[in-house]
Amino acid sequence: MLKGKVVLVTGASRGIGAEIAKQLGKQGAIVIVNYLQNQCAANEVVKDIEQNGGTAVAIQADVIDSDQVEQMVHMIVDNFMGIDVVVNNALPHYTFNPRTRKPAWEIKWQDYQTQIQGNLGGAYNVTHAVLPYMTQQQEGRIINIVTNLIDFPIVPYHDYTTAKSALLGFSRNMAAELGAFGIKVNCVAPGLTAHTDSSQDTPENVRESIIGLTPLKRLTHPQDIAGAVLFLASSWSSFITGQCIYVDGGLTMK
Amino acid sequence: MQFNHFAVPDGIAFSSFEERIIEDHGATLSLRSPCLSSEDIVQLMQTIRENRQKIKDYRTDQLIQIIDAAIQKWLDPNYPLRQFAEKWVPIITGYDKNMVRLELKQFLRLFRKKELLRFIQQEFPSISVLDEFYPQSNGGWSRAYGPEFIFHIFSGNVPGLPIWSLVMGILLKSANFGKTPTGEPLMAILFAQSLREVNVDVANTLAILPWKGGNQELEAPLYQGSDTVIAYGSNETVEQIRKQIPSSTRFLHYGYKISFAMVGREALRQDLYRDTLRRLRDDMTIYDQQACLSPHLVFIEAGGNVSPRMLAQQLSSELQQYALIRTRAKLSPEESQAIRSLRNEYEFKAMTNPNVAVYQSEIGTEWTVIYHKDLSFQPSPLNRTIHVVQCEHLEESIPAILPFREYLQTVGIATHPTRLMHLSGILGEQGVTRICAIGSMNRSVPGWHHDGRFNLIDLVRWVDLEGSAEALAEQYDLDVE
Repeated sequence: MLKGKVVLVTGASRGIGAEIAKQLGKQGAIVIVNYLQNQCAANEVVKDIEQNGGTAVAIQADVIDSDQVEQMVHMIVDNFMGIDVVVNNALPHYTFNPRTRKPAWEIKWQDYQTQIQGNLGGAYNVTHAVLPYMTQQQEGRIINIVTNLIDFPIVPYHDYTTAKSALLGFSRNMAAELGAFGIKVNCVAPGLTAHTDSSQDTPENVRESIIGLTPLKRLTHPQDIAGAVLFLASSWSSFITGQCIYVDGGLTMK
Repeated sequence: MQFNHFAVPDGIAFSSFEERIIEDHGATLSLRSPCLSSEDIVQLMQTIRENRQKIKDYRTDQLIQIIDAAIQKWLDPNYPLRQFAEKWVPIITGYDKNMVRLELKQFLRLFRKKELLRFIQQEFPSISVLDEFYPQSNGGWSRAYGPEFIFHIFSGNVPGLPIWSLVMGILLKSANFGKTPTGEPLMAILFAQSLREVNVDVANTLAILPWKGGNQELEAPLYQGSDTVIAYGSNETVEQIRKQIPSSTRFLHYGYKISFAMVGREALRQDLYRDTLRRLRDDMTIYDQQACLSPHLVFIEAGGNVSPRMLAQQLSSELQQYALIRTRAKLSPEESQAIRSLRNEYEFKAMTNPNVAVYQSEIGTEWTVIYHKDLSFQPSPLNRTIHVVQCEHLEESIPAILPFREYLQTVGIATHPTRLMHLSGILGEQGVTRICAIGSMNRSVPGWHHDGRFNLIDLVRWVDLEGSAEALAEQYDLDVE
């Protein structure tokens, strides 16, 4: 279904991004593994994809720098004759620790700005860079990774969740206007994801309480998220746009 | 199911028939038509000519009532002939079923009483001028006589179009002989059947039959014996016919025409451009551009909120979605080839020229949009294929259309009121005969001047009864002092 599709995954050297990249590679996509700093990890992801018979390439670019993003997209199109799918997964560094998070009375406007710039600004830069190519192709998928905390802020990570809410609003507006060009924009909203660097500081009791409330009785795994991304990247979802798929075992029901 | 694929007056019988079988998903329709000889044609001509004597004395408003009554039947969704047409016209023509259903409904409404009255009023001072002498303001009287005998050669590109021609002939009290096309063979005959259900006298002045065009034996008596010939079709068809018609015969023909659209930057406002797109899509999808009213090309002005290139891209997307809702008709190999050659030509150009882009359906030839940044004008092979041409100002596109002057017909236009008048003036000067809103290109209004001409006036012969005769007559009235 994704054979030969050119897919860019931002922030793909680790965690959820890396898993999405690997799963896309397994399905035959040509995967661009974007990373910010960790070249070794990005190369590992590429190697993993290649070992499974796929095609991948790692490209460094900071998604909040529009020039770097332009350059990256230009390089992709130059080499692969187009770009079919973008997964905006990169996010600024964040630690999901309920004990060290900033409460409402301490959080600074600067904290919000950092998260908004990283999450929304990054997605904005990438979207704008690929737009001329996708409109020309009359086809394209943009998948933005948000969070289920938007609907159920079980732990109020103010800055992070607000920025992700903005990204959801951004996605819906883009979907409304870009549908006319055959471009679909959707979101995937994971729950607390096990085995990622960002979530390692989430204490056990919080994990347990989330699991207790979750109908499927476990935390989200990166593979679960990759599954939803594969669906939204494929033609199985060709008439779906402006949607948000919650991948949290039923914790959030909309 | 067998369908008698001919409409002839009472008392006519044929000895042998041929059948054209049409099959679709297990349903079979056999179109049964007579094997014709020149004797048959001559006999039919003579019969409808004689039968015409009966309707000569019908008043025009009676004829309008009869046509209206036949049309009213078609406005009932349960009318068996309508159901028959809705089933088989799409199968035979390949046009989308729902498109045929909607367009036929809309088209037939043009022949209701109120539309016919307006149609006549557009051309004559009074409806009674077709029935009796009508006083002229400068003294004297005039009366319009329709042709005694009209031979109609219909074309099959737009379902139901022959009805237009037949209705004109009936309103003018003519005997009407029609040759149906193979492309859409049903509607003229079905309409004749409806007329028969309403009034036998009128039905007996009609003979509508199919045969393969160019059959000298059958056509010669018709060319020789008609006082008016109306032909629809390609330029070649029209030229072929012209050669065979005596110079004294009135010959009306509706051949190849080119229509196009113009979109000003004011129609590309953020809040309006979606509507503009939908209208353009409608203009180029109704009957897959087979009507001469459909656009081959659209000029789009730069400087609006949406660029011409983006509009071309969005039009492509509209066409892609529309193709899933209303399938395009199946094309002949020649038609597909014409689209493929055009695509190849421009794909090749686009490789080195960024001012050209080709947007097209992925698999077949369902739709094609060719974007040109540089001003140009060229016809399209149609069947949902269109050129989108960028221009800085709509006015500057005029030189590009000049070489096509003799073929120009409709222009669909979306622009500011003051520019509309100005542009219409220029377009009229360059040979365009109809200017309408985009989105309405395929829907001409009752009483329009088809190809810049009158409809009924071009067919009638005027007789003037001058004031002198009237004054002189007074003298012979013994009672006048």
